[in-house]
Amino acid sequence: MNLQIILAIVAILFFLFLIVMSWQWLSTRGEAAPAGELIPVDLEAFQNLTDPEEEQFLRTSLSPPEFRSVQRIRIRAAKLYVVALSDNAGSMMRLGNSASLQADQAIVALGRDIAKRALSLKMWCAVLQLRLTAALVFPTILSPTGGIADQYLAVTYMAAKLHAEAAA
Amino acid sequence: MDVLRLAWLYLWIAPHLLLILVAVLMIRNGRQRDFPIFFSYLLYEFLQFVVIFSIWCLEAPHPMWLRTDEILRGGSVVFRFAMIQEMIAAPFSHSIPMGKIMTRMLNWGTGFLVVISLVSVEYLYRQLPNYGLLKNYVVIEACNITQCGLIVGVFLWHRFLGVRMSPTVFGIALGMGLIVGSEPYMLAFVTGTRLISRDSLQMAVFNVAVLVWLYFVQVREPSDSDFNGAQLLRVRDWAEGVGRITRP
Repeated sequence: MNLQIILAIVAILFFLFLIVMSWQWLSTRGEAAPAGELIPVDLEAFQNLTDPEEEQFLRTSLSPPEFRSVQRIRIRAAKLYVVALSDNAGSMMRLGNSASLQADQAIVALGRDIAKRALSLKMWCAVLQLRLTAALVFPTILSPTGGIADQYLAVTYMAAKLHAEAAA
Repeated sequence: MDVLRLAWLYLWIAPHLLLILVAVLMIRNGRQRDFPIFFSYLLYEFLQFVVIFSIWCLEAPHPMWLRTDEILRGGSVVFRFAMIQEMIAAPFSHSIPMGKIMTRMLNWGTGFLVVISLVSVEYLYRQLPNYGLLKNYVVIEACNITQCGLIVGVFLWHRFLGVRMSPTVFGIALGMGLIVGSEPYMLAFVTGTRLISRDSLQMAVFNVAVLVWLYFVQVREPSDSDFNGAQLLRVRDWAEGVGRITRP
């Protein structure tokens, strides 16, 4: 295909993208900011789904086709948990950002820390989602990891601390 | 003076005068503190216009005109890269400075896109009869196309974070998207054949972009600073949520 045609298609797609983004932005303009409610996440179940020992046990006790099938189900479930963790991280980020605009320096410092950690958590969730998608394709080669659970606990603990600071 | 020439002069002069109005509105609303690079870009574009317009009025030799235009356009491109960085950092400008890793990721992404655009634009320009005259514009055009990709990145970044773009960031991104997005289109259809119509088209697009900035700069920013009753209620719900998680 001629490069000029490719460039023209790129330009048209780009303008269509701008139109869609503008339409979406304008249609939600009057609405209030997202409430940012926390989705309950059973971290223990998530850690169980990503536990290497559990995976090893299944690998040795099941036939390879059965293992692949079971592992895919486990990975799909783990992905749902990661999506929930990512949404919660986004809400925590907004909360931290909002707190960092306050006059009280203790709340500001805590808000900044929450925003920073939540952003980091959100990035890790994105990486983990990619990894889980790859693991879904190659369930016997790639193992899902649940290393973000501790980070998540740290951020949520700080959100609770923010509550105490704000209430004081 | 015929109508076409008047229209051409209007397209050239009017948006640059409006840039000053955009800058004044930014100062009035105190936005120059939140978007210092965009504010500097407005002033730079105006100064660039003053220089080019003076050269045009003085009927300076063509090579001098071209050289000045190249240098000044290069400056605009650099400013626009910095503006993209400013927009990416905007959701956390109050709380988190742009981290080293994020800056590095952005630089790598930019470098990758620049290389692809450079190869494509160079290939297109080489087919032109007046390639020798225009070859210095290859890098500038390639950077403009790269910025299209980065503007898409700005929108997707906000979506990924789940943060609504503020009116100013949205306006800057939209206006800049119009300016840089017209580049691949013009490269595809009017490359080298009719430079005057290409310039007019670019100026018309710039007009629209300035009007977009003018509109969005005076739109009231939603205030996020009221950490009052409603926010505290949310924090309480948060704490309860944390309790649900940490107490199995």
